[in-house]
Amino acid sequence: MSSWIDYTVNGIIIGNIYALLAVGLALIFGVSRLINFAHGSVYVVGAYAGFLAVTHLGTPLPVTIAIVLVIGGLLGLVIERFGLRPLQGYAHIAPLLATIGISFVLDQLVQLFFTPDPRAVPSSLLEVRFQISGGTIGALDLVIAGIGLASAGLLYYFLRYTRLGWAVRATAQDRDAAQQMGVDVDAVNRTVFAIASGLGAVSGLLVGMYYNYIDPSMSFQATLKGVVAQVVGGVGNVPGAIVGSLLLGLVESYGIALFGTSYRNLFAFVLLVIVLVWRPNGLFASKRQTPPEPMTGTFIAPSKPVHIPAKVLAGAAVLAALVPLVFPHPYVLQTLTNSWLYALLGLSLTLIAGTVGLVSLGHAGLLAIGGYASALLAIKCGVPVGLAILSAGLIAAFLGTLMAFPAFRLRGHYLSIATLAIGEIVSLVILNWEWLTRGPIGLSGIPPLSLFGMELDTDRSIYWFTLAVLVVLAALQFRLLSSHLGRVLRAVRDDDVAARSYGIGLNRYKALAFAVGSFAAGISGGITSHLYSYINHETFNAQLSILALTIVILGGMGNVTGAIVGSVLLVGLPEVFRVAAEYRVLIYGLVLLLLVRFRPQGLLGTV
Amino acid sequence: MPVIHRRLFLGASAALLLGRGAQAEPAKGEPITMGVSGPLTGPNAQYGAQWKQGFDLALEEINNDGGIKGRPLTYVFEDTQSDPRQSVAVAQKFVADPKIVVELGDFASPASMAASPIYQRGKLVQFGFTNSHPDFTKGGDYMWSNSVSQADEQPLSAAYAVKRLGLKRIAVLHLNTDWGRTSKDVFVKAAKGMGAEIVATEGYLPDEKDFRSTIVRVRDAKPDGIMLMSYYSDAALICRQLKQAGVTLPIVAASSVFSPKFIELGGDAVEGVHTASRYFPDDPRPQVRDFVTKFKARYGKEPDAFNAYAYDTIMVMAKVMREFGTDRKSIHDGLAKVKDVPSIIFGKATFDPKTRRVDGAMNVELVVKDGKFQLNDPKAAAR
Repeated sequence: MSSWIDYTVNGIIIGNIYALLAVGLALIFGVSRLINFAHGSVYVVGAYAGFLAVTHLGTPLPVTIAIVLVIGGLLGLVIERFGLRPLQGYAHIAPLLATIGISFVLDQLVQLFFTPDPRAVPSSLLEVRFQISGGTIGALDLVIAGIGLASAGLLYYFLRYTRLGWAVRATAQDRDAAQQMGVDVDAVNRTVFAIASGLGAVSGLLVGMYYNYIDPSMSFQATLKGVVAQVVGGVGNVPGAIVGSLLLGLVESYGIALFGTSYRNLFAFVLLVIVLVWRPNGLFASKRQTPPEPMTGTFIAPSKPVHIPAKVLAGAAVLAALVPLVFPHPYVLQTLTNSWLYALLGLSLTLIAGTVGLVSLGHAGLLAIGGYASALLAIKCGVPVGLAILSAGLIAAFLGTLMAFPAFRLRGHYLSIATLAIGEIVSLVILNWEWLTRGPIGLSGIPPLSLFGMELDTDRSIYWFTLAVLVVLAALQFRLLSSHLGRVLRAVRDDDVAARSYGIGLNRYKALAFAVGSFAAGISGGITSHLYSYINHETFNAQLSILALTIVILGGMGNVTGAIVGSVLLVGLPEVFRVAAEYRVLIYGLVLLLLVRFRPQGLLGTV
Repeated sequence: MPVIHRRLFLGASAALLLGRGAQAEPAKGEPITMGVSGPLTGPNAQYGAQWKQGFDLALEEINNDGGIKGRPLTYVFEDTQSDPRQSVAVAQKFVADPKIVVELGDFASPASMAASPIYQRGKLVQFGFTNSHPDFTKGGDYMWSNSVSQADEQPLSAAYAVKRLGLKRIAVLHLNTDWGRTSKDVFVKAAKGMGAEIVATEGYLPDEKDFRSTIVRVRDAKPDGIMLMSYYSDAALICRQLKQAGVTLPIVAASSVFSPKFIELGGDAVEGVHTASRYFPDDPRPQVRDFVTKFKARYGKEPDAFNAYAYDTIMVMAKVMREFGTDRKSIHDGLAKVKDVPSIIFGKATFDPKTRRVDGAMNVELVVKDGKFQLNDPKAAAR
């Protein structure tokens, strides 16, 4: 079948493009054990730098590539110096948050300078196309493949045969040992960031030329696909990243061939979960390799939590309950109601990620399950809203745990990426399961919040309802953390080998924590759907998962009060910065960076 | 506010340049404020920027012409990133602010419709001028929209594709969003009713950039023409990749591709693409000529569909306020009563008080020729 040749060629071409991104991500991960969420933003900066060079200076392709490479490299140095070096020695979770902050800032700067309008990037290459089977490939396809292969080759040579390359590999294997042997690990880090960011920027340029299209919001998708590709190949493994990218491209292409375009990403993410479960360290991890994640402890740093007496907390809850009486401005009440809803999500994630150490990047999926469950029960079965929300919590607990269960054997970043994939799968299933969810049309006319037949139709009553739910669940979580069970969960996080040798069944405890956490997230999603009256698959998007993680890291991992404080800050700050109009996301990103810089263990510390 | 000063100044100089002396005194006094909820940052920021251009042009015209009974009309644009969490907070802000007399937006359905219950409770009109979701105005009697309903537009596209171009086997590519999906459903039904066969339908996600494999699938279905339910940026990507794949079938695209960006991004790959639009740059209608000339003078480029929606919306609001009053209730009641508002999109817009929408959008059939949208003259096509 000639079409299959076409699908294969197309898969390889798109895989090629993913490879350019994945190689940079893999390099950075290899040395600093960091998923660089700012990589997609560097890619955007590269695309725009190339756009300026081509349209204003009229540079030919090789010169443009050189310019972009240098700009990307310099940007990498800046990111390393000001964003990440100050956080050295802290747990890996702090630099992760820093890269999220940097990506906000970079994306927003590009948007402010170049306007959000998409731009065309003219390619100076000749439009030569070669006929292959039913389709054609162009000169640019070959250039992209060539640059991908050449950079992989150069990297291989660099890592294998140069002194600095040896230093990079030594640092990747054991940072402390390398330092003791006299390796300047800072220099290694700088080099790696410069190379990886240079490559990332060039890939932005090439992809921009390939599609004749760039816009400032393309960074998130680029990061997502690059991360998936490199994890398939085994994080930190450069040749693995290339093979993983090609595999990803092929699976997407065959997925389209077999089932249609709307299933494309579903296939990519299912592939990822299967690979992770089957080979927890990626396809190409060798047996001899030391585990890419530290065995214990260091992913989440122990720190002394800020102690807040129970009386103060109770006082704060009472104060919060009095807000509608003292200061009944609906806008403030709505913003706080939103904060309470995200605090519920934060409670959920802080238990799962902070207390048990399963850093989930797919929490929006739980919100979506809760939201759809509650809305469908209320619309299709006429279940009273209060009961529907409660059932939504239980359904989210059950489905969430069931889906995450295969991932429990994974560690650290692998688990995060598996949950990210699971979150995307939830959203894509909702999109495609049309008879139940109405697909992209979404569910409208979701009945408003009501309790025992009484409609909650004032801003105050909605505020008190969400606050009450939050207080109850937060109190339960406090109780849980101070119980024997809470100590067991922390033991699992801090040293799972030790915990297992004490006879603790790891998976059972992880599942228990996941179920309790998912319940809170499901409730939050359920309330949200009744509040909004309309939801579709975009309502609970992947950005919310990132927001949830940001709330938890900012508040302090495992810290219940921290999750609430983090939520109030992160939901409230963008509202406070409204006066700054277009600049508000930029300011938000900068504030986030400063918070991580000065409180890397979270505002209230890890519990 | 310096911004307003500059706007007024620009307005005055533009009026002079155009040789059009002010017919009435420029508006002074207490401004009348509309609230806009829409994306200025985030992935949809480009659409918010286009709204602003349309708004500013319309307001300059109205305020140089005496405003609303001597008072200037203005707006407050609150950025929501088209995110429901922020659009509901903004809704509360607008409802509680007595200065806001009407709300315009939001952009995407999840953000717009999540805020509807708040506007309905607060009795503030939510005027969703890009909200084609069939359920949007069902949110309550305070939800109004002058967006072109897909039930209205797509049968015209189907007629263009099937009757005019004679397509018999059509492949439909659509954005897998509420808009794209609704459009596709209406189009498929209409095209089948006209005797055409739909050989493939492929839904793609809004942030998709690679369509090569989708195109192979479409090609294998052996269509004799392709229908795109797309916005201009993704439509341009698809056209380029169709050309690269050697597919040279006739392409018809939804009116949302009508933007100079479509031609800029698509290059020569969009030559020959057919689309329908509500107006076109060389339209003989005087209000369109006026709009296009002023838009070009002010922004140095051709207006697109989103600019026109925003411009039209301000014109509707100004007429309602001039005739029926400027408080929230008068605007709500006035929308049901206002007749024949001069409009770029509809020619003359009158709301159906039951659906709270406007029917009977204008329709011109266009084709991209020599890097420009040109009227697809039936005589020229017959040649």
